[in-house]
Amino acid sequence: MTDRYETLATRLDERFGEQVTLVPSTCGEITIEVARSDLIAVATGLRNDADFGFEMLMDVCGIDYLSYGKAEWATSSATGTGFSRGVEREPVILDEAEEFDPRRFAVVYHLLSLQHNMRLRMRVYTGTDNPPIVRSVVDIWNSANWFEREAFDLYGILFEGHPDLRRILTDYGFIGHPFRKDFPLTGNVEVSYDSDKGRVAYQPVSIEPRTLVPKVIREDNRYSQDLKDSGNG
Amino acid sequence: MAEIQSYTMNFGPQHPAAHGVLRLVLELDGEVIQKADPHVGLLHRATEKLCESKPFSQNIGYMDRLDYVSMMCNEHGYVLAIEKLLGISPPIRAQYIRVMFDEITRVLNHLMWLGAHGLDIGAMTIFLYCFREREDLMDCYEAVSGTRMHATYYRPGGVYRDLPETMPKYQESRFRSNKEVQRLNASREGSLLDFIEAFTEKFPRCVDEYETLLTDNRIWKQRTVNIGVVSADRAMQLGFSGPMLRGSGVAWDLRKKQPYEVYDQLDFDIPIGTNGDCYDRYLVRVEEMRQSNQIIKQCIDWLRENPGPVMLDDHKIVAPKRIEMKDDMESLIHHFKLFTEGYCVPEGEAYSAVEHPKGEFGVYIVSDGANKPYRVKIRAPGFAHISAMSEMVEGHMLADVVAVIGTQDIVFGEVDR
Amino acid sequence: MGLTSAAEAGPPRASHSPEAAGDSLQKNGFVVTSVDAVMNWARTGSLWPMTFGLACCAVEMMQAGASRYDLDRFGIIFRPSPRQSDCMIVAGTLTNKMAPALRKVYDQMPEPRWVVSMGSCANGGGYYHYSYAVVRGCDRIVPVDVYVPGCPPTAEALIYGLMQLQNKIRRTSTISR
Repeated sequence: MTDRYETLATRLDERFGEQVTLVPSTCGEITIEVARSDLIAVATGLRNDADFGFEMLMDVCGIDYLSYGKAEWATSSATGTGFSRGVEREPVILDEAEEFDPRRFAVVYHLLSLQHNMRLRMRVYTGTDNPPIVRSVVDIWNSANWFEREAFDLYGILFEGHPDLRRILTDYGFIGHPFRKDFPLTGNVEVSYDSDKGRVAYQPVSIEPRTLVPKVIREDNRYSQDLKDSGNG
Repeated sequence: MAEIQSYTMNFGPQHPAAHGVLRLVLELDGEVIQKADPHVGLLHRATEKLCESKPFSQNIGYMDRLDYVSMMCNEHGYVLAIEKLLGISPPIRAQYIRVMFDEITRVLNHLMWLGAHGLDIGAMTIFLYCFREREDLMDCYEAVSGTRMHATYYRPGGVYRDLPETMPKYQESRFRSNKEVQRLNASREGSLLDFIEAFTEKFPRCVDEYETLLTDNRIWKQRTVNIGVVSADRAMQLGFSGPMLRGSGVAWDLRKKQPYEVYDQLDFDIPIGTNGDCYDRYLVRVEEMRQSNQIIKQCIDWLRENPGPVMLDDHKIVAPKRIEMKDDMESLIHHFKLFTEGYCVPEGEAYSAVEHPKGEFGVYIVSDGANKPYRVKIRAPGFAHISAMSEMVEGHMLADVVAVIGTQDIVFGEVDR
Repeated sequence: MGLTSAAEAGPPRASHSPEAAGDSLQKNGFVVTSVDAVMNWARTGSLWPMTFGLACCAVEMMQAGASRYDLDRFGIIFRPSPRQSDCMIVAGTLTNKMAPALRKVYDQMPEPRWVVSMGSCANGGGYYHYSYAVVRGCDRIVPVDVYVPGCPPTAEALIYGLMQLQNKIRRTSTISR
């Protein structure tokens, strides 16, 4: 981490104190975690304070941490079905009444300061609410408008105070939030032309999901932080 | 007097000036636009979700297909993010090759933009001029990677292979006489570097031609001057980047401000505009083509004198050469592992941004230590630009919508992803 | 005189050499051929495709129409409107959201009409086959005459595909069955 970023980290700590949590990074970037209730206060400070001056919001994105750190391949027997044999996928679809794991959904903001030439990543977990909800930052950075619409469309995260929260990328009348980890990659419906109806119509999806390369997680000592810090890596 | 109500008009998704599949719902008062509501997502292919289902290296191809007029720059953003997570940096020669191809891509992109933008607002000839040069640059792509567009040439740890020593040549046929073939092959006798050098020699004259056609053209000025004006403050507030930001007078270029690869060792200037209208952005982009040409020249000079490896020698990440596999067990195992499972990237998150021809192209990767990315978020410059469409066209005439779409340099592959 | 000799030439042939027709025209001042042959000649010689550029393939389609390859040589001139065109080149990934628009444009084209599916995505989903948002082949929406493989197909490949379409048109007979 360069000096400038260390200064920024110190300043963030001084200015916001309890409101922000610095997350250790492996590649020289600064990430802060902000509680949902403090989002607007912290965001306003980051934009307006001369020390920070993050006048540009480059990106807002949602993340679903449902299967974080879980390898999907566990099998010891060989079959003729290829890699798909070891992969088990169970849909985890909650009712409206149920609650989410507090660290399941997060919204990540990427900020850029032109005057100080610095970047900052800010993460807000949405908590247990179903549907997940955070305050909109459109009034602070206007560029958030479409990025928040996208996060709503793909993850179903609601943004309180957003002027125009509509779906943006998926089809008109799409059901579900496709980037959630429990939404199948192949989707639930597909389209084809129905000559009887004389229009393009939806029908249930006809293809099977297939795993070409299973997801595996391997421990690698070369990347271990302990070894890196002691200079042996 | 009867009150004239504003009415709604649908533009696209199949419209020759929509640069693909844009649908605009325009609210008009007579011919003056009150409000524009862009409907995007007509090319939403779920690239980011597909990336989550494939190993890191198999996703490079998706990056090409995002912004399909500046292929290698997209790859660059993605590859840099992986390299950041892995903590590796490519050999210096690979960095020069990347910079050279980034700039070739920038010229390719701006030529496409200029041709299409010109065609949209009534200049036919410029389209043919621009595509003439694009063909030469696509030949460079083809020579180095085997494909004209989707190269998949950048890999984590370097580039796929070194620059070829020969160029493919035209052959005599029923339709091409010997004399014509000789003329066409004149610049193809040497290596790829010779070919690119010949291109950089002639390219400034080509840019002069475009400028002769457009810069002082009365019609061109009438269509672009004072159209779609964005002030510097608004441009920052709206998340603009690249020529859209520089056209408004903000001197911000990642190649200068946050240099990656070898940009800090190269000599080039950053053009900026003053008024923030379509005409200024046109001037900025044209000047960028000239600057890119300068950068390419510097890279050629360096690459001629400094042979060396173009790929790291770490077989945990980079596949071993085929010839090594023939008599080395280790290499064979590495090769097998890399192509069945891929490599695991350490847990963490990285955001890397490159100065893409359209603006800041950022790739945010979250890895949970697996062989596939946990989340890939692509920060497409065009997405922020088109979200400001309504603001830029308000109060303009209907015909100016086309000029604004053109000046934003929208490509739907990256907007919709 | 010429009429009899031409009439004796036998039944109309679908394929005829332009040189022979030219000679006949020079000597006798007229040509005898079948209506089908004339129609097919007209159709193949002025194939007006509609630009349906969806994604990456649209760039190669533009390259094919521009300076080096110049589709105008084949009488192929891109039209912006479906009403004026008789061929649609589906160039790029067709998504669920775009599918109704594609069909609508196809329905607006006058008969006879042909469809060229350009690139893997339009042929069968290609790289995006498993995506929830992509139509796995534009033949699910419109009938396709020629499939051009590639990702994207080069401009040459597209021209070859269009020449195959011309061959297909030449083989069709509208009057004689």
